[in-house]
Amino acid sequence: MAIELQQVSYTYAERSLWKQTALHGIDLSIKQGSIVGIAGATGSGKSTLLQLFNGILKPTQGTVRVLDVTIKAGEKSPKLFPLRRRVGLVFQFPEQQMFEETVEKDLCFGPLNFGMSLDEAKERARKAMNDMGLDLKLLDRNPFRLSGGQMRKAAIASVLAMEPDVVVLDEPTATLDPISRAELIALLVRLCREQGRTIIIVTHRMDELLPYADSWIVLNEGSTAFQGSVKELAADPAILERCGLTVPQSLRYWRAVADRFGLDGENPRLTAESLAELIASLPAGKRDAHE
Amino acid sequence: MNETSKDQDKEAGENQTVISLEGVSFGYSPEHPILQNITLTIPQGQWVCLVGPNGCGKSTLVKLLNALLPKSAGEIVVCGQKLEEETIGYIRQSIGMVFQNPDNQFIGATVEEDILFGLEGLCLSHAEMESRLHSYTQRLGIDHLLAKHPGELSGGQKQRVAIASILAMEPGIVIFDEASSMLDEGSRDELMGILHDMRAEGKYTILMITHDADEILATDRVLALQGGGLVADVTPAELFLNAELLERCHLQEPYAWGLAHELQKRGIQIDVPASEKELIDTLWP
Repeated sequence: MAIELQQVSYTYAERSLWKQTALHGIDLSIKQGSIVGIAGATGSGKSTLLQLFNGILKPTQGTVRVLDVTIKAGEKSPKLFPLRRRVGLVFQFPEQQMFEETVEKDLCFGPLNFGMSLDEAKERARKAMNDMGLDLKLLDRNPFRLSGGQMRKAAIASVLAMEPDVVVLDEPTATLDPISRAELIALLVRLCREQGRTIIIVTHRMDELLPYADSWIVLNEGSTAFQGSVKELAADPAILERCGLTVPQSLRYWRAVADRFGLDGENPRLTAESLAELIASLPAGKRDAHE
Repeated sequence: MNETSKDQDKEAGENQTVISLEGVSFGYSPEHPILQNITLTIPQGQWVCLVGPNGCGKSTLVKLLNALLPKSAGEIVVCGQKLEEETIGYIRQSIGMVFQNPDNQFIGATVEEDILFGLEGLCLSHAEMESRLHSYTQRLGIDHLLAKHPGELSGGQKQRVAIASILAMEPGIVIFDEASSMLDEGSRDELMGILHDMRAEGKYTILMITHDADEILATDRVLALQGGGLVADVTPAELFLNAELLERCHLQEPYAWGLAHELQKRGIQIDVPASEKELIDTLWP
């Protein structure tokens, strides 16, 4: 397992009047080398959960195990430096993690900080820029003069430049245009399938991740409401509505066709192309009789 | 029905122009122009969306309208006032902006203070401030959060506070710069509901930057930017029927449109279904 949580709770400002519990008794496990989607309504605890994955937040109750590091509530935590190199976190708002004068310096900061030579760091920076489809000309730019979408790509590149084993992304595709979104998802899928990295993505655009995710975690008011494969989720998408989410279109159309023909045992067809292919192979009903 | 709505649009077309740009350009330096020679007009009451690939200048364009960024060339007229040093104050009062990241617009220590801050600047009476505070926070479903510090809120809640604080000032023009990008689908549907209501009220001219196909479909008009220039001024339906334009703008068609196209490719001729039920009823009556 890449990540395992046992009975984890997290309370903000625990010793004050304003204490607020964001997560309650979470049990979950994430397999190494898998792609996991995390969904949940606004305020369900998704961002809090992610910050437990590399020790930015420590559990107020329970045990968090990430790779070979164990963080237990109430105990002095081990050195987190090596863990932070291996678990890369891309925040919801990219401008909060950019700080250097140029994009290049920003991208080199992580690799340099973790002991790489300047040449090596620059090489990593270039590779990450290419992976994110960013023009190398932007390396000399001030990161705060990039557009919102470019800044987000640069922030993701700065995390990829460290080549972490686990990549955790909080709404990585918000503000990206749809082509860039599809490219980013494709890149993350490649990192997982070809290099065995673990990819964890918080998203409210479930549609774009549904065809690729190995499993899903759905949060509701700080607890896990669902944990399982895409197939299990596709069998009962109503769980999403109970958690205050909308059932994604691809899942709704798949359900409609699956219900009509009793296809529950099959792998769900969650792209327009694969569903159209399936429909074309099904009996045409009265449709052809009219033609 | 369509005819009458077209007639109404014609009337709307005769409405006063509230935004007009003539040969507007912008660049941080002359060698790197970001926007070049943009000319367009928007009539009062229209709901317009601005689309285009990341980095094409969408956010820059809306920031020029109220001089958050200074234009390098051209003329901008907002609500009958030419944008100049002396008119910036007036123009900024007529335009409300909701940004991508709500953290960038919070100043108050609580949600209530944050919303009241904008209203104080408008010299309203206490009673009017209270009434707007409550009506807009209720409309956005955040009236239970008034005493919270903005830092305690989730991303989506923050975005709703940001929207409420702008709407409470009742500006004639409201600009949404990917304001829904951080919202979950339920909150986004709510936001779209608010925008529909605003459109129906007729008081607001709405300019919305988005990449989302369903959001684009809801609007009256699409302005497409690419490489710093205006490349198309079309209706949403025209946009989604134009594969070449979609690709240039880095957009994707809505799921149901994509499904209909994929079916047509396989010899199953159907119209874009309005829902999954309609698809089933059409295919297997």
